[in-house]
Amino acid sequence: MGQYILRRLLLMIPVAFLVSVVVFVLIHLSPGDPVAIFAGGEVQDPVVIAAVRQQYGLDQPLPAQYVIWLEHALQGDFGRSLRTRQPVLEAITERLPKTLELGGAALLLSIVIALVVGTIAAVRRNSVVDLVATGVTIAGVSLPNFYLGIVLILVFGLVFRVFPPGGYSDFATDPFENLKRLVLPAITLASASTALNLRQVRSSLLDVLSQEYLRTARAKGLRERTIVMRHAWKNALIPVVTIFGLQVGAILEGAIITETIFFWPGVGRLAVDSINGRDYPVVQGIVLLSALSYMASTLVVDVLYAWLDPRISYRSRSA
Amino acid sequence: MRSARYLVAFLASFAILLAACSGAQQPSGGGASPSTSVKATPGGTMTFALEDQPINMDPLLSNAFIDRNIHYQIYDSLVRIDSSGKIIPWLATSWDFSSDGKAVTFHLRTDVKYADGETFDAASVKWNIDRYRTTTGSQRSGELASVDSVDVVDASTVRFNLKSVFAPLLANLVDRSGMMLSRKSVEAGGTDFTRKPSKAGSGPFVLTEFVQNDHMTLEKNPSYWLKDKDGSQLPYLDKVTVKPITDGTVRLTNVRTGDAQIMNNIPGKDVASLKTDSTLVYQQKEAYQFNSMIPNEAAGYVFADHRYVKAVSMTIDRQQILDTIAFGVGAVGYGTIAPSHFAFDPTFKPYAKADPDGAKALIAQIGAPLQFELLIVSGDPVQLQEAQLIKAQLEKAGITMDITQLQFAQILDLQNKHTFKGMTLIGWSGRIDPDGNTYDWVYTGRPNNAESYSNKQVDQLLDHSRATTDQEQRKSDFQKAQQIFVVDDPAAVWFGFGVSQLLYTPKLKGMDIYPDRLVRFATAWLQK
Repeated sequence: MGQYILRRLLLMIPVAFLVSVVVFVLIHLSPGDPVAIFAGGEVQDPVVIAAVRQQYGLDQPLPAQYVIWLEHALQGDFGRSLRTRQPVLEAITERLPKTLELGGAALLLSIVIALVVGTIAAVRRNSVVDLVATGVTIAGVSLPNFYLGIVLILVFGLVFRVFPPGGYSDFATDPFENLKRLVLPAITLASASTALNLRQVRSSLLDVLSQEYLRTARAKGLRERTIVMRHAWKNALIPVVTIFGLQVGAILEGAIITETIFFWPGVGRLAVDSINGRDYPVVQGIVLLSALSYMASTLVVDVLYAWLDPRISYRSRSA
Repeated sequence: MRSARYLVAFLASFAILLAACSGAQQPSGGGASPSTSVKATPGGTMTFALEDQPINMDPLLSNAFIDRNIHYQIYDSLVRIDSSGKIIPWLATSWDFSSDGKAVTFHLRTDVKYADGETFDAASVKWNIDRYRTTTGSQRSGELASVDSVDVVDASTVRFNLKSVFAPLLANLVDRSGMMLSRKSVEAGGTDFTRKPSKAGSGPFVLTEFVQNDHMTLEKNPSYWLKDKDGSQLPYLDKVTVKPITDGTVRLTNVRTGDAQIMNNIPGKDVASLKTDSTLVYQQKEAYQFNSMIPNEAAGYVFADHRYVKAVSMTIDRQQILDTIAFGVGAVGYGTIAPSHFAFDPTFKPYAKADPDGAKALIAQIGAPLQFELLIVSGDPVQLQEAQLIKAQLEKAGITMDITQLQFAQILDLQNKHTFKGMTLIGWSGRIDPDGNTYDWVYTGRPNNAESYSNKQVDQLLDHSRATTDQEQRKSDFQKAQQIFVVDDPAAVWFGFGVSQLLYTPKLKGMDIYPDRLVRFATAWLQK
């Protein structure tokens, strides 16, 4: 297993390299000059534009720009933001904990709800819980984040005034305030993935529950709770874990919108600003980070498989 | 004769200075909240919900409009504008032009220190202006291109030697080109000066925290040089937290819930209800900003024949656009000179009534029907509605307009290369002097002249307006030029002006609204 993980980790290097090349080419091919965009439509003296381009190395041919970037990146220097002059690594590491907090809360919320409600919906098929869960699921998938976010802000922020309408408060300074501000964005971010996860848990469990070994278990006189928790769950969870793994990536994508609505100072918002501003070094850094996190989450999922199902082994690949 | 005029100008500036030393220092009542008779209470913290993230704290490099909302709290400039848009003394108490108009001598305040303890004096002015003029990549070099050199006359007197007479110079010194920073703090800040807190300014507040995309903290500058009419130290507020919130509805919710006490840039759809909302104070003032459709008039493009531009200008119903799209918030416009500009002519209404039949006749005279593409910024529903309304209006004159949505960056790119096919729907944030709204837009070969417009007469009039400091002469030049580039030989289609807006809690007093759409918090205070 250790060897398998090591091999997978090593494989990340060429993938990360390819991703960096593709992103570099794509963002530079997309029309729009960062120097002109920074001006936001304000008058720009062509001489000034040329000077700024030269200062940032944007006047060099594309391959040369990439080689310079790679050279620095290999030494841990991902450059500075063209817009704010903040070092890219600092810009990302400063915001990453905030995105992880929001994403983690959303993922936790999504998994807990999906497992609990999904299981009840499967065990009590066509019951009120099942019907309500199905209804909420459809709403969750159908409502786009930007809409749900604003509705939540208006209802819970303005009408009932239970939660603040967005913003971030440092956990170390005021933990309670931090959690209060986390609730609405976490629900928004979790909405779509909860729906998917819940459906997956329900259908996967329904599938397992109808299998013969469970009929045998029932015939043995086991309690329904033991049947579901001990015998059905573990087998039903394999496809669910795959979906959960993919949701990590989806949640990172969702953070882009959610963070903008709730002015949550995370990586998602940084991504939006940087893409709109053609802030090449920052976009490059963020995409690389999200590619690595995708790869890491699929690796975790694969390892989890082996733990959940002893039949899966990564040692005997040739067998 | 000329020197007599300068004497008058000097006396006038002296009078303004007196006003500044008395009236302008009073905390002025904010619109609906009559506060002039109530004594201001010092202290308190306020949160300002700003429409976007400020980026650059160095006036040398800053080029985003949004940055200036912070600059105005932490830096002072040589001159300022009052709430009517008139230039008033600030760090410079007065100024006089040489008889040939090619040198301006500024007399400076002697009681100003930067927040880092350094003294503001003539040497500091020279260092700042030379830095703006000569640093590679400076965004200010164009605005100060007329300055040939700066001489320190004595500690409180500095002379700008100009290459030629340049009337808009003072207006340029109101903003970032005239902002004075402490050399010590700027040099100590190095590369990170653009984004890290510093004590480089002499303004009412000091930037103490700058967390990108989250918040900025402005704390009271205890040694600020300005006092109110009772001799109390300004600013009143201890702290201002600035939160960038891009969504208008969310920004509004923050003010309603009390999470923020003030916001600007209020969505038009909400204005009518806010005006009657007694729990909030809404203020509005005509701004310098204009809305326009910019055609590509380069050879080979459809609008190379300027009569087509005129046909579009004749057909569109400006009042309907204002009422439907902006919910009546703003003003109908026909050119670049806004109601708040000294050169504004309220009688200039060449296309007051939409005239699709006239446009039809004009197109028939040209001989070929008009079909063109309008580029708008993708993802902006309001702009899309605006474009659709214009499209429907143009159909009445038999003009076909296709709407294409592109990213803002792409549109700018096409404009800079002069390769867009028809028109773009791109406006301008506006400048204090009409020159800043006009020269670079219609003068032959200037950077913002995306339309490739060229008219010798317009060029001559605009050059003339720069070369005289006689306000009446300049007014006449601008109005004559506007008649040409809007009506006789149209350069583009201008259809409206924007407004400055403020929305705040009634507990917030002393807020004044300015036509440049920027906030000033020096005299703001919170009622206990």
